[in-house]
Amino acid sequence: MSGVRIFIVGMGILGPLGRGVERTREALRDGRIGIRPLHLFASPHTGALPVGEVQEPLPVDDPPRTHALALAAAEEALAGSGEPPDAVVMGVTTGGMLRTEELLKEGRRDARAFQCHSTGSVAEMTARKHGCTGPALTISTACSSGAAAIGIALEMLRSGQARRVLAGGADALCRLTFHGFNSLQLIDPDGARPLDRDRRGMCVGEGAAMLLLAASEKPPFEAAVELIGAGFSCDAHHPATPRPDGAGAAEAIRAALDDGKLSAGAIDYINLHGTGTIDNDLAEARAVKAVFGDRTPPLSSVKGAMGHSLAAAGAMEAVIAAMAVSDGRIPGNAGCRIPDPELALDPVMTSEKRPVRAVLSNSFGFGGNNVSLVIGASNPNRPSPPPRGLPAMFVMGSALFAGAGDADALFAALARGEDPGGIRSLAELSRGLPPRAIRRLKRLPRMALSLAGAAREDAGAAASPGAVFFGTGWGALSETHDFLDKLFDSRERFTSPIDFIGSVHNAPAGQIAIHHEAKGPNITTCGGDHAFEQALLSASLLGSRVDSPVMLLGADEHHETFTPLFDPSVQAGTTPSDGGGALCLSMVPDAPGPTISLACFKAFDEGSSAAASLVRALGGARAIRDRFGALLAGLPAAHRPEGQKLLDEFLALAGFSGPVIDYRKIIGEFASASAVGVVLAERFTRAGVVPKGVHGPESLTLSGKGVLHLGLGRFITAVEVIGEGRWGVNR
Amino acid sequence: MENLLAELKTKIVKTLNLVDVTADEIDVEAPMVGGELEIDSIDILELVIMIEKDYGVTIDNKELGEKVFTSIRTLADYIGEKSSESVH
Repeated sequence: MSGVRIFIVGMGILGPLGRGVERTREALRDGRIGIRPLHLFASPHTGALPVGEVQEPLPVDDPPRTHALALAAAEEALAGSGEPPDAVVMGVTTGGMLRTEELLKEGRRDARAFQCHSTGSVAEMTARKHGCTGPALTISTACSSGAAAIGIALEMLRSGQARRVLAGGADALCRLTFHGFNSLQLIDPDGARPLDRDRRGMCVGEGAAMLLLAASEKPPFEAAVELIGAGFSCDAHHPATPRPDGAGAAEAIRAALDDGKLSAGAIDYINLHGTGTIDNDLAEARAVKAVFGDRTPPLSSVKGAMGHSLAAAGAMEAVIAAMAVSDGRIPGNAGCRIPDPELALDPVMTSEKRPVRAVLSNSFGFGGNNVSLVIGASNPNRPSPPPRGLPAMFVMGSALFAGAGDADALFAALARGEDPGGIRSLAELSRGLPPRAIRRLKRLPRMALSLAGAAREDAGAAASPGAVFFGTGWGALSETHDFLDKLFDSRERFTSPIDFIGSVHNAPAGQIAIHHEAKGPNITTCGGDHAFEQALLSASLLGSRVDSPVMLLGADEHHETFTPLFDPSVQAGTTPSDGGGALCLSMVPDAPGPTISLACFKAFDEGSSAAASLVRALGGARAIRDRFGALLAGLPAAHRPEGQKLLDEFLALAGFSGPVIDYRKIIGEFASASAVGVVLAERFTRAGVVPKGVHGPESLTLSGKGVLHLGLGRFITAVEVIGEGRWGVNR
Repeated sequence: MENLLAELKTKIVKTLNLVDVTADEIDVEAPMVGGELEIDSIDILELVIMIEKDYGVTIDNKELGEKVFTSIRTLADYIGEKSSESVH
């Protein structure tokens, strides 16, 4: 089978420099600055600090601002493209937060008002609008989210899982990020001055950009721009400050060049992350020097012109990189007056006409989460590998956490006929975690650390993970709540830097990286009930980039105020429950342990052929009966009627008569319950039985077969767990 | 001043959730950042907010912060100085 290369066949952008690719191109060429005093909401205590605010009129709340930005960019990228994309992958950190802030300030407590809060809802709304029925992934890795999303889309296309993917990022200004960054003293009140000797900080911005990416053997049209490579790394150093020596950033740059099979000399322009903070610009300069040495190509940051649009930044800069290639024009490093001699960089100060064959675009996020992309003119001599499919992954160890405690406690409770759901106390959850290291961490990061440690222990001491993939429906609700509470209680005068840093969705995965020194790809996915499956898909796509094992987790905390507002499956009267699951995985084909693979991931379809389609995706009725001895059904309460109907049809078509375990009735309702479900599937497969108390008073043999996990909420997912455990299984 | 020192020690333990030390045990002369208490720059920023909220004293730049947060003693001195200035 011949190889595929990935081309940019459509682009859309909306930001402080204007709406659309053309406007943005003109603004950059003319050296315009889109940073102005904050107008979107009042901030009497700080004053209207300079921000990159979108000036175009946008709907006030329907849809919320981030969603409106994303939809506008998607519209432009998809214009004239015909069929819907096969998947949508989007970087988002704020979701509906701006609207949520207003609702909370008004004292609203009706859950319906908060239905667009989730970061995941932006990609889902965009996918639905354009008829995409495949996966809608949301990547939330702070400032590198948009670039990470594009990198994941790249791998999805290379794997053959999709032919066309809409990928990008979107974020709106909101009080949480505005006051949050200000509380870290990272804002320059005079406007961002990237690389400047007197730089004092960044400006928060907003915007959206989308790329329509297509896999093709050759360029789909003349002068098509190619997405050549992506590199991922994690500093594993500190939750908010980059490694001063830039080593993690250099690693991401090198990984992107390697991935694109390019030497450093092939790069004609570097679009820097260049936020304008003292620390970032210095670390980034060191990283660039480490890779390019004396032959550093022309470079600039656009954040002096647009501000830092967080999840949108990496995507907006990818669009700008593509324009640089097409136009043969490098944007100027706006905002800089005197380049800092300590950086030893010579930025392009004003827009310059110059041939650009390939661009390196950097996005370095909080938690040391680094992504670099390479975008360039199509080169027929560049090798293009054949589609590599979606690999199965091998379980080295696993762990779960629920109301009753860990896996052993859960099975013991069930064997005694007790309810294992509920909420484990913070003290019990924290047992085994080093007290000093966790003093600033609240519920979700402690859960994540505990799970990662337990999965690693289960795998055996040698299993030091190199990459982390974490799925969470709602993120760190305690930190988010406490930050907003303090902010609004003080009429927006006071904040908590610790809670701000803890509130970013990728903070737990960042903590895992620090504790386990995992310096490879570090991805957090968000999206309600299928956040874990998104993390699993991401792990399948990126896991082979590291030689070491991969840590895959999903977890959600129950927050007494926020969960009933945000999660439609948790209402007044639902017993509060939370927890998560973790798997330490090897990508090596001949490692021992059950294998785990994603067999289906698509939008829920109420049509009559959905069940048949699912049976086909799993290899047909006979294969399902031959391979699986039990089925774990994830039926989130908010979608139970439709989910149950599909499940019943599926079981009938498959002729499956084994135990069907409705596990949310056992462990409770929380977004990442599927992480627990998949770990249960793994534990059953490993032991060769469904333990007693799980499905009736007796244990049930699996007769050497594996276990199937189905997710039946807004997305239909299927995870196959198959194979002999290390403990051996009767065949 | 002794009252202020005692009060600050208690508030620091509470604000930073210091787990294995009591307010009494803290040495007010010891370096704050990178010292025994393992306080870092994020903790300092959290304390900056606490000091603004509870004492009305602003510390809004890195240079000033580095001087003031040398030790709990220097912090108390600065707060004492600024508080008495604002009493007119």
